[in-house]
Amino acid sequence: MKVFIVPPNSLILFDLVERFGHKPLSIMGALSEKVTSKEIESPPLNVTVDDVKKGLKYAGIEVPSGIRGRLAIYGPLIDEAEAAIFMEDAPYMFGCVGCARTNEMVKLLVRKRKIPLLELDYPANDEEAKAVVQKVKAFLEGLK
Amino acid sequence: MPKTSETRYIVIAPTSSITPDQITRFIHTMAVDIQIKETCFGVIIQGQPEVVAKVLAEVRKLDPNRLFSKVRGFPIGDARRCRAEHGSRPGFTQLEKEWKDLPMFEAGLECAENKGKVCEVPKRKKLPVSELKKICDEVCQQ
Repeated sequence: MKVFIVPPNSLILFDLVERFGHKPLSIMGALSEKVTSKEIESPPLNVTVDDVKKGLKYAGIEVPSGIRGRLAIYGPLIDEAEAAIFMEDAPYMFGCVGCARTNEMVKLLVRKRKIPLLELDYPANDEEAKAVVQKVKAFLEGLK
Repeated sequence: MPKTSETRYIVIAPTSSITPDQITRFIHTMAVDIQIKETCFGVIIQGQPEVVAKVLAEVRKLDPNRLFSKVRGFPIGDARRCRAEHGSRPGFTQLEKEWKDLPMFEAGLECAENKGKVCEVPKRKKLPVSELKKICDEVCQQ
C-alpha cells in the first residue's frame, strides 16, 4: 500500500515504511520528477502554470503562495495515499519542510480522507524509539 | 511514463563498522550498470529503478539494522546541489540529525525483530508556564 509520511522527507520513516513492505510517498520522489523535467526553465526555482492550478485544488486563492506551492506537491501525494504516518515534533521541521501552516493543512487534508493513520511523537531515547518502531511495524503489518 | 532513473541515499548508522568505501567496493563487485558516489555518511547510488532496488536489497544484507535508505530528488553531481559547484544543501541539517538518531532506531528494529516487550512510554508533557516563570525568576536572580 502507498503510505504518506510526515515529515515528508524523513529518512527514518521512509526506510521503516519500505522495510515493512509498503511504498512510502515522499516529496523526494515527487520532486525528482520536477527537478529533472525539461519543461521547467530553471528547476526547482520556478513553478509552472499547472502547479498553481494544482495548488488551488487544495487551498483557496487567499492562502499565501508558499503554502499553495507546497500543497501543489503534497496534495497529489495525499490523494494517492492509502494510509499515513505522522511523526510529531520532529526536531528538523524547519527549512523546506518547516512551513507550520502547510503542515497543518497537510494533516487536515489527510484526516479528511479518512484513511488509516498512525500518529507518533519523535523519540528522544532508546525506549521511546523501541515503542515507535513497534507501533510502526504493527500498523504497517495490519495494513496488508 | 515509467521512471528511467532513480537516485538513492544509503546512510550508514554511526554504530556500524561498515565504511562507505566497503559499500562502494561491494557494489562494484556486483557488476551492475549503476553510478555510485561515496559520501561522508554513506553512498549515493543512481541507475534504473530495478537495478537500484536489486543493489539496495544486497547492500542491506551487509548490516540490516544499521543501513538506512531513502530516495533522493536530485541526481548525483547535480550543479544545483553539488558542493563542488557551490550548490546549496538545504536538506543536509535534517540528514545529519537523522543520522545521529539512527542508533535509537537500530535498537527499535532489534527489539521489533526479537519481539521484545515494549512498555508504553508515557507521553512527554510540555513545561507548564508557572514552571517556566519559576526558572526565569531563578536565572534572573543569579
